[in-house]
Amino acid sequence: METLTFEYRATRTIHQRSHVGVVGSGDLEVLLEPSSNGQAQITIRTGSEGFGDAWKAVLDRFFLVNDIAAKVTINDFGATPGVVNLRLAQALEVSQDVPHHQR
Amino acid sequence: MSPITKDSFIELNARERVKAVLDEGTFQELLGPFDGLESPHLPPQGIVPQSDDGVVIGRGQIDGEEAVVISIEGSFQGGGIGEVSGAKIAGSLELALRDNKKGIKTLPVMLFDTGGVRLQEANYGLLAISEIMAAVIALRQHVPVVGVIPGNVGCFGGMSITAALFSHLIMTKGARFGLNGPEVIEQEAGIEEFDSSDRPLIWGTIGGTQRYSTGFVDELVDDDVTEIRKVIHQAFLGKGKEINKTEQVDFYHHFLSQIDPSKPIDSQTIRELWKQARNADIPKQVDIHSLPELDMPNSRGRAWFKSLSGIADPKGDIPSVLYGDSILGKEHVRYISVVPNPYNRFPRARQGEVGLDEGWAIAKCVRDAVEKDKNGDPRAIVAIVDVPSQAYGYREELLGIHFALAAAVDAYSTARLAGHPVISLIVGNAISGAFLAHGYQSNRILALNDDGVNVHAMSKQSAARITRRSIRDLEEATRKVPAMAYDVTSYSLLGALYELIDGIEADTPGEQDIQTIKNKLTDAIADTRSDPPDLSNRLLTKEAINGGRTASIKTRKLLEQQWNSIHMIYSS
Repeated sequence: METLTFEYRATRTIHQRSHVGVVGSGDLEVLLEPSSNGQAQITIRTGSEGFGDAWKAVLDRFFLVNDIAAKVTINDFGATPGVVNLRLAQALEVSQDVPHHQR
Repeated sequence: MSPITKDSFIELNARERVKAVLDEGTFQELLGPFDGLESPHLPPQGIVPQSDDGVVIGRGQIDGEEAVVISIEGSFQGGGIGEVSGAKIAGSLELALRDNKKGIKTLPVMLFDTGGVRLQEANYGLLAISEIMAAVIALRQHVPVVGVIPGNVGCFGGMSITAALFSHLIMTKGARFGLNGPEVIEQEAGIEEFDSSDRPLIWGTIGGTQRYSTGFVDELVDDDVTEIRKVIHQAFLGKGKEINKTEQVDFYHHFLSQIDPSKPIDSQTIRELWKQARNADIPKQVDIHSLPELDMPNSRGRAWFKSLSGIADPKGDIPSVLYGDSILGKEHVRYISVVPNPYNRFPRARQGEVGLDEGWAIAKCVRDAVEKDKNGDPRAIVAIVDVPSQAYGYREELLGIHFALAAAVDAYSTARLAGHPVISLIVGNAISGAFLAHGYQSNRILALNDDGVNVHAMSKQSAARITRRSIRDLEEATRKVPAMAYDVTSYSLLGALYELIDGIEADTPGEQDIQTIKNKLTDAIADTRSDPPDLSNRLLTKEAINGGRTASIKTRKLLEQQWNSIHMIYSS
């Protein structure tokens, strides 16, 4: 297992926290939480070691387009870059829904 | 309805399944992904954890009634039960029990998708499952406990024994339900016993249609959200539900007596036999045509049974389950021990394994004690534990060994709830499903501190194969996680033992050894008399509090806080 961290400057906010995906073969889970420090802080735990550059490429592109201030936690079980991008987009979409007053 | 318009239930993840079962808009998650309760045991082994540890607890309503739906995520670690996920399940069933007892009706539903114990957390999983079972049996007295086995993983291992205890079981055709997975049987018993690549054989043994046709599940459903919702609702309407399968000891005893294990059997024959047995009267006296008995080998289980009970020539209804009564100080005690019978009619249960006949025989002699004492003082029941494993075999799966083991679990737990002090004395191996069936439902567990005493979820060879590690990697991992170790000293750190007893000659006990153990048993029996009849004392021991069960305790505590605050929302 390897832990990777990334940080990006951010200007936009998100409405609510969101959670998508499972830590199953070829998949990952993404936890997105609003943050007030003007940064996107990403922590990744992955079972596939040595793919730091690939993660950087996917995240650079995603957070360039979506400069959200958020704490992002990723638990990965060998997802491909395409799946990572898809899950991030899903998590973002859910987090931008109008907040409802459920827990 | 045309098949095209069906919404697949199987394709939903654990959380989506809970939402699908609950009335729309009522889902509230307890201990969700942001509550930070992941497994503390996986990262030290280099395994990425999941934020909810693979179990979703949802409160909400079913047809307007309060409900709790527990859903296991099969895609995460095969739905294996670890310390946190196990505590989430046990804790929510315990809270449902508390509320139902108080008159707050809460309907419990479990959506199974699990391979059983998470082998990376081994003894934590086994311990949690024993607590889940205890809660199910107690809860069942107040409200039907409904289980669904949708697939993809199905329901295996200790959780298959758990499912067998449910009031009502629903299964799809695409799901599988058995004690030992096909790969494990092949590993333990050889490819001649079970070929794990033979799919038609697997489905004909443990698939939904076969299980329904032989009465092990109550409903067979299509993979459709609407249908599954409907069948769950109906299950709670409880239209004259018969007694639980695991309580039907005489019927299953009779059914199994119709089987000749020396002859080949197949799925179709068993369906016919089951139907015939179902429609026939159960005879008063059932004889199992056993092979002739010759000299029985000595074993720790036999030696300790003889020493403690004082019965020189022990006999049971079957040669592999010894039981007998004797006096210990002021206590009447029934001793029960599972021992090797090299002539066992089921070849896969000749080394002292708990097999089909053994599970039902244990159930019978425990229930006999409960019945005899129902108007008097409940005698103590002492399980002498020396069991290498459950029986691994094709016949065992086909004939529902998980139900046989569950019958033993049910009987011990029923005895405990009826006020019998139930004590386990581990003198040898206490492994996996065999230990769950014989020993893990006790108020107190005592163990000899001896190299020959091992407590675990699976043999090293099988555990290595299933978790895709070498035996060396596995042994390395046990150094980081005491719950994965096999020795009893590591096990004692988890706090489930009432006492670890030093200095006893385990193989051939002398007079002094026997007296020491008798004194310890007397103390343990007296100690249970002031207790509630559940297993909560395991979380209150010094070892449990000082690190052995940290996550189990923390999970339950936080769960209770969140559960109680939901009630405040509803009642305000």
